[in-house]
Amino acid sequence: MTSRAANIKAQIGDLPSHARVVVVDVSDVPVMAAELTDDKIQVLWEEPIQRVITELQNAHAAGCTRMVVVTPLIGMSGAAGYSAQSAVAEAARVVVKSAARQWGKEGIVVNAVALESRAYGFDELVAGPVSIAPRAMTRDVSAKGIVQWLCSDAAGDVTGQTFIVDGGSWM
Amino acid sequence: MTTHTGTRLQNRVAIVTGAGQGVGEGIARRLAEEGATVILAARRAETGEPVAEAIRAAGGIAECIVTDVAKGESVQHCVDETVRRHGRLDIVVHNAFSGAVPHLLHEASMEKNWKLMSKTGVWACFFCARSAYPHLQESSRRSPGEGGGRLILITSPSGVEGSANIALYSPAKAAERAIAKSLAREWGPQGITVNCIAPVAGSPALAIAFERNPDLKDAIEARTPLGRVGDITKDIGSVALFLASDDSSYVTGQTIVCDGGSFLGL
Repeated sequence: MTSRAANIKAQIGDLPSHARVVVVDVSDVPVMAAELTDDKIQVLWEEPIQRVITELQNAHAAGCTRMVVVTPLIGMSGAAGYSAQSAVAEAARVVVKSAARQWGKEGIVVNAVALESRAYGFDELVAGPVSIAPRAMTRDVSAKGIVQWLCSDAAGDVTGQTFIVDGGSWM
Repeated sequence: MTTHTGTRLQNRVAIVTGAGQGVGEGIARRLAEEGATVILAARRAETGEPVAEAIRAAGGIAECIVTDVAKGESVQHCVDETVRRHGRLDIVVHNAFSGAVPHLLHEASMEKNWKLMSKTGVWACFFCARSAYPHLQESSRRSPGEGGGRLILITSPSGVEGSANIALYSPAKAAERAIAKSLAREWGPQGITVNCIAPVAGSPALAIAFERNPDLKDAIEARTPLGRVGDITKDIGSVALFLASDDSSYVTGQTIVCDGGSFLGL
């Protein structure tokens, strides 16, 4: 796991035993599409998305009933120089919906948190702005609060959703 | 079949992957109707050649180049051969996709259920992008501000909504939308547009689904405001034509859901 993904996971802290958080782990190094060799596609797309799918399968096998996938917001916004990483991010966000639809009848809820670029270290000058409007908040933000809530009993009726934590850029 | 009398894509050269049947065939036919030279990149000549022949018989210009989109060198060959024969490449439509068979997420195997969808869907997007990029850039240089390089990716409403029945189909299709947005940003300064179409149309894949589930057709028509399944040429091909033509020169990074109004969640 990259240090940034590990840091995001550490910030979230301990979770109930029936809960599992999957932090999408992608490189913060931009690679233009014309320069994506097969080796780079393998490292930047194939391996990270397979990790997400496998972690969700493992959580299911372990009997978890609350699952949250934390994924970079660039899956929703797109990002120049990060086409492979954005593909992972959006695929992770949507496999959550498949999981929610498929596992709902087992009492399992699965949701996604889309986290802003700065938490993942993407170069925003390369990637481009997420929104036409500036970020509403000035302080740093964390996925901790929303993930903890999604793993609580209070969130048991919420599934297949994406919660954006980006200080109010994407609206 | 409609005769080839239109001129909106005259002198443009297009590659359509997976053009031997279904949505790809419909798009190839529609682009050819409007004057494009269409290269049908089909995995099997048995499917690609008859479509090319039908287009030629109706007065269009079409050739089949056998292409396995899961292999980067095969995509590169298709692009190189297209440019060698026709001197340019303006439009790439990546439609080919294989492996979308029903499976449960918790039972899915990376080798059996995921690999083919990832390769033909997502890897192939990257292959098409990297091989076509210099030619799409050149196309935009020839006609700045209007009809330039075009990359069109065929995704699915399932790539937005998720799927309970084909769980890993959805993330593969979602990835294509994200790639389109990222490339729209990356290639916008070069005048290349990148968009997606999310169709529901009478394709062979849908015909198989109807066979498996006889109630599915009625169910789709009942939930669709326009009350029918889309036609591959008239309904889906025409949207591809819009995205390939000068009419869409200020549209990029978008997904047009072309499903008769069934999905209204964007």
